[in-house]
Amino acid sequence: MTVLRGIAAAPGLAVGPALTLRPAPPVDLAEQRAVAESVETGRLVQAIVQAMALLERLQKAAQGQLADILAAQREMLDDPELKQGAIELIASGSSAEAAIARVAARYADQLASLPDAYLAARSEDIREVGRRIVAELRGTSTAIVLTQPTILVAQDLAPAELAGLDPALLQAIVTETGSATGHLAIVAQGLDIPAVVGITDALSQVDTSTTLIVDGENGIVTINPDSERRDEAEKRLREVQRERRHLEIYRDRPGLTADGTWVEVFANIGSLAEARKAVEMGAEGVGLFRTEFIAAQGLPSEEAQYAIYTEIAATLCSPLIVRTFDIGGDKPVPGLDIPAEANPFLGWRGIRLGLDQPEKVFLPQIRALLRAAATHDIRIMLPMVTTPQEVEAARALINQASLALAREGYETRPVRLGIMVETPAAALTLDLFTGLIDFASIGTNDLVQYTYAVDRTNARVRARAQPLGVATLRLVQQICLSGIPIAVCGQMASDPSAIPLLVGLGVRELSVSPARVPAVKQALAALTLEEMRARAQIALGSS
Amino acid sequence: MEKTVERTVTLGSKSGLHARPAAIFVQQAKSFQSQITLVKDERTANGKSILSVLALGAEQGNQIVLKISGDDAETAINKLVPLLEGDLG
Repeated sequence: MTVLRGIAAAPGLAVGPALTLRPAPPVDLAEQRAVAESVETGRLVQAIVQAMALLERLQKAAQGQLADILAAQREMLDDPELKQGAIELIASGSSAEAAIARVAARYADQLASLPDAYLAARSEDIREVGRRIVAELRGTSTAIVLTQPTILVAQDLAPAELAGLDPALLQAIVTETGSATGHLAIVAQGLDIPAVVGITDALSQVDTSTTLIVDGENGIVTINPDSERRDEAEKRLREVQRERRHLEIYRDRPGLTADGTWVEVFANIGSLAEARKAVEMGAEGVGLFRTEFIAAQGLPSEEAQYAIYTEIAATLCSPLIVRTFDIGGDKPVPGLDIPAEANPFLGWRGIRLGLDQPEKVFLPQIRALLRAAATHDIRIMLPMVTTPQEVEAARALINQASLALAREGYETRPVRLGIMVETPAAALTLDLFTGLIDFASIGTNDLVQYTYAVDRTNARVRARAQPLGVATLRLVQQICLSGIPIAVCGQMASDPSAIPLLVGLGVRELSVSPARVPAVKQALAALTLEEMRARAQIALGSS
Repeated sequence: MEKTVERTVTLGSKSGLHARPAAIFVQQAKSFQSQITLVKDERTANGKSILSVLALGAEQGNQIVLKISGDDAETAINKLVPLLEGDLG
């Protein structure tokens, strides 16, 4: 038995067999073929056909962004120059593995050297295609297909890889790299799959079928647990399941305080899979769709975005609040030239970047949203707002897009507009936004960071931030005095000790990760509005 | 009858010959028997190869020579020139 400590990335407990995904050993680029040219060429052609069949299967199961990536890779697999280049190298003595790896690397280098981040990012696709063909040649083709409850152990996992797996069989995730706030962590939380990341030598200690206990709450992985530990974990698992069944009664009822005040419980999502999870967990809508998650491979076109928004809205059949791209120096996007900054959290990000690059960033997204909003309840939310002037500028662009769409013959209708309140500037002056916006949502993670001047990625100072401190709560109080409908979509919204304070101060919508929806409804039902108000008054620190 | 036609076009696509526009062009090019070549600043690309078209790094406004030789060269050039000149999305 070995106990390893990593970073807790998504809560939950799992016991079960591991499935390891090992990075393939590198190809020896100088390797010579051992058989006749025609035989080696035959092996290559066969491998390409097999890789193609695999991609087609994966493509059928994939949706949205992931389907686009796989379609691009399929096109590359079918490329006549790729095949021809490899066949020529085989003719001059190379092995099929070395030939395909060399040609793929040549194209990848060419694309990477172009002065265009979007094309440079495609170089990863061609490398991946090369790896797929090599895997077929070696007979180690890597379609991850789960056939039983499994704990996946990998060096790293892209959200795209995760999205292709059956969430019903994926018990937990363990990776060697990653952080608590990385994309993998957020996606795993949304899908309610326990995850521990940053276990540096996991693959050297775990094999496929090794039994593991993954404790996502505390970031602990136990390899080959003794029977005592295993029994204990399984007992806890049963308790958790019992607790879940107890929470299920909250799924189908609205968020209500003990005295019947309605506080809508919405979900935060970043993908279609999470939208499905939100419906399953009984969310009354989506309070935050983080659209930067669909831009991991570059900003999608207007058409691609329209398809994504429509699909998600149709899945929900309830309000969908879409936050426009919240990108900046710390979240690079292929194809967008965002210079590195000394202080990305205080830099060119969110609405600032959108307003400065309307043609490239803001307008295609607004057009896609307005088109989707013609038939679905979609609302637009602007990130990182500090002044009413920014909202006026955004409104002007939205009106411009709406007129252009009408001229082009599209049906449009007025769409509700809101802002994220995550800067003290917006929090203190929200009353000045009256008439400009229909709603506001407090992003508590950023608001707390800006209020306490604490970088939440800096482990030395992180603990000095006080999400429930008097400064935060007074800002929330100020925000609620504006009379604008107020939601909270930061981590605080799912903290049982914060919920009474937020509702007591006037918040009437809580947006949380899909898995937390039932627990938030339970916390709401525990107290009356009067009791919550009294708690908030004490917490405000007024004498 | 084997034929070779050649035309110089100015690339109209807003985002150059990037992934989507390049994929649209290559798919169309593949529907013809003829050999299809793109030339930009002495660099040559096989019009039926997504990789070699992408590697041109062509941007909006670039001059591109389209060379087509084969039985259906005439049909192909009439179809592909407007594609390059227009906005491929």
